[in-house]
Amino acid sequence: MPLVIFVDDSETALASTRMVTNSMPIEVKQYTEAQVALAEIEAGMVPDLIITDLNMPIMNGFEFLKGLRGVPATKRTPTLMLTTETKPELKQQGKALGLTGWIVKPFNPAQLKQAITRVLRLPA
Amino acid sequence: MMLMLKSVDELLLHIKEVQLDVIELSTESLLKMSSYIEKNSLEIDEDISTALQYQDIITQQLNATIEAIASMQNSIERFSHAYESDENLATESMLKLQEKLSITLKDAKDKKSRFAGKHAAQHADDEIEFF
Repeated sequence: MPLVIFVDDSETALASTRMVTNSMPIEVKQYTEAQVALAEIEAGMVPDLIITDLNMPIMNGFEFLKGLRGVPATKRTPTLMLTTETKPELKQQGKALGLTGWIVKPFNPAQLKQAITRVLRLPA
Repeated sequence: MMLMLKSVDELLLHIKEVQLDVIELSTESLLKMSSYIEKNSLEIDEDISTALQYQDIITQQLNATIEAIASMQNSIERFSHAYESDENLATESMLKLQEKLSITLKDAKDKKSRFAGKHAAQHADDEIEFF
């Protein structure tokens, strides 16, 4: 099964995404700290899709994304930003860093499911 | 002057503590509800999902105001030290304090808008944006 990792410093946000992914044919790992997820990736974990928050203490979503792009195995791994931020300049910054897409919270569960299905090319 | 500032500082501390309690209680409440939903394999619709996600937005908003309060307390403390060491500098220190508080307020208002997600961005596209 494809591995999808979620990174968000809010446990309640992670719980909300779990309710969407529970019924999907994917393996999910969740992290409340981006640096912990990055360390596991650097140690050999290879996710098929990464969904991360932007505003997080210690390491924010953009710093995490830069770190991911520095690891050969995740240089091109699809990565979606799931955030409350809506500013176009932040989206541009994410795009320049190789972000795949931008989802504004609160997300629509059907659309999040659809996005994961589309990116991972899962049967609809 | 100093007594008034002390009262303001105490009031700010109280507001901060209340906000931290609200974050803790609302997080606990949400996690209990989501645990129940997951344990019973209940399907949630968009409205329930949105309602559950508001807790995250509430937490971010409260954290932003907690940061603003900490910044205000810091500015008040600096002013108090300056005032105590040289009362002649009071006017200058007061102006600096006012300036710092204005910056803090502007920063807090900016975060209020940034952390509101679709709730504030009335024209935000509901579609996920792919690059």
